[in-house]
Amino acid sequence: MAGATRPRTVGERVADADPSAGRILLVAAGALFWGWLLVSWVNRWLGGAIAPVGEPLVAPETVEGAFAAVPGLAAVAADAAFVVELTPVLAQGTWLTVVITGVSLVCGFFIAVPLAVARVYGRFSAWLSLGYTELLRGTPLLAQLFVLYYGLNLAASVPAAVSGVFPRDVVWVAILGFTLNGAAYQAEYIRGAVESVDDGQITAGRAIGLSKLESIYYVVLPQALRYAIPSWTNEFVYLIKYSSLAGFITVPELYYRADQVATETFRYTAVFLVLGAMYLALVLTASKFMERVDDRVAIPGLGVDRER
Amino acid sequence: MSDDAFLRVSEVSKWYGDEQVLDGVSFEMDRGDVTVLIGPSGSGKSTMLRCVNRLAEAQEGSITLDGEEVLSPDTDVDELRRDVGMVFQSFNLFAHLTATGNVALGPRRVLGLSEEEARDRAAAQLERVGLADQLDSYPAELSGGQQQRVGIARALAMEPKLMLFDEPTSALDPELIGEVLEVMRALVDEGMTMLVVTHEMSFARAVADEVVFLDDGRVVERGPPEQLFERPEKERTGRFLERIASHD
Ligand SMILES: Nc1ncnc2c1ncn2[C@@H]1O[C@H](COP(=O)(O)OP(=O)(O)O)[C@@H](O)[C@H]1O
Ligand SMILES: [Mg+2]
Repeated sequence: MAGATRPRTVGERVADADPSAGRILLVAAGALFWGWLLVSWVNRWLGGAIAPVGEPLVAPETVEGAFAAVPGLAAVAADAAFVVELTPVLAQGTWLTVVITGVSLVCGFFIAVPLAVARVYGRFSAWLSLGYTELLRGTPLLAQLFVLYYGLNLAASVPAAVSGVFPRDVVWVAILGFTLNGAAYQAEYIRGAVESVDDGQITAGRAIGLSKLESIYYVVLPQALRYAIPSWTNEFVYLIKYSSLAGFITVPELYYRADQVATETFRYTAVFLVLGAMYLALVLTASKFMERVDDRVAIPGLGVDRER
Repeated sequence: MSDDAFLRVSEVSKWYGDEQVLDGVSFEMDRGDVTVLIGPSGSGKSTMLRCVNRLAEAQEGSITLDGEEVLSPDTDVDELRRDVGMVFQSFNLFAHLTATGNVALGPRRVLGLSEEEARDRAAAQLERVGLADQLDSYPAELSGGQQQRVGIARALAMEPKLMLFDEPTSALDPELIGEVLEVMRALVDEGMTMLVVTHEMSFARAVADEVVFLDDGRVVERGPPEQLFERPEKERTGRFLERIASHD
């Protein structure tokens, strides 16, 4: 085909422009969301350098006034002010949600990798690994948290070294619960990826004198962990949402805070809509971030949609 | 039969479950020899090679390499594999590493060279197989012939005493076979001891000191290429040679 001569239709232009416009909107929303969170957190650590601790960064009256001035938005001005009033509590709850999710995910990962390897390459250890994953995946997460918190009363035996890191020691119990449970799910995703690595890779590793474990470490895992990223991201996303179960063992994370406010104010719809938006923002951030990671570590020459 | 053979395989038998795959296989090679192993698919050629570097365990017989018993339980297999390079039909390059990374991994992690020494050695070996311009390419970015040459460089980087080739060209498009055979021929000229499974008859004829014909896990016939190819003693050998000749 020689040179594009046909004028592009409006439809084509919209289709082309749309992704970038959507992207800009998404990035702007993300920047606002994380900007607000970070400033709120820093403000709290600095003891209220930017705004008094517990007060919104922007005065609710200011927001209400601004909304009232815009004809179409005047009707929701009071709601907007209410949401702004919630922001300090939400930011505080989100901090715990993010920390619990992040720490549990990372700790769970370091348990999940050996579990997955044992499952694929072990003999006796394969059975242990299978038993662990089936037990943890086959029973309700909430029940597991209850066993740790009420049953074993672990909040009372948090080691002195880490006690006091969080406002309440029960946070450690939640982290332990999500770590143990998440490890089982992560192990399943990683196992699938380990199995998808060709046997010839290990054979080649052993042929140059690497031991079996070294071959797994230097050859199989670097590939498998890359291949696991898309499915592993599911667990990341689930964990963000499931971390709300920590509220049931009195961890004052995002869900717990929102639930408290809703009960106090009776404004369930507004509160839980905002809560939903918060989780959505966290989840979108996580999945977009993992997409970037996936692109960054992609092996040159291998198709993006590598088949299993 | 000389008593000081460099590689001596004697009466090696191997079973997978109830299925006997090798049945009393014997042959020997001197230092610098090239032995070509031929035989129908499933005759046990790959298994034979794998027994030499203990990727497969022979249940009976003995294999000595440079005077050391390979099959003894006391043998350090990792050490053995350092001395025996292997090249695979399907290349088996480490998919996540560049050509340099593939070749440097063994020197770095097995021989314990520093990162820099390992990379230097890798670069030198890749140059040796004509890939000085592909140091940073990933396997998926290389042609089959280039991948196999990286595979050879990876084995050579361990400075092996013996090289095993398991059908190194049979996964390649015909136009890419030549470049790999050329590298192998250069190795022969340098005096490398090579045990090669291949059906490239012109290669075997040109460089082999001995050709071993394996069928059904047994050595049917062995001898210098001109004898085995021109005047096979066994009828089975002749039939097999005719069959592969008609494929060329
Ligand atoms: N890991 C294995 N487990 C079970 N049987 C095997 C295994 N490897 C090879 N075999 C069997 O051993 C026989 C010889 O195989 P192989 O050595 O690969 O033959 P060749 O390389 O001559 O084609 C075949 O029947 C094959 O099915
Ligand atoms: Mg074979």
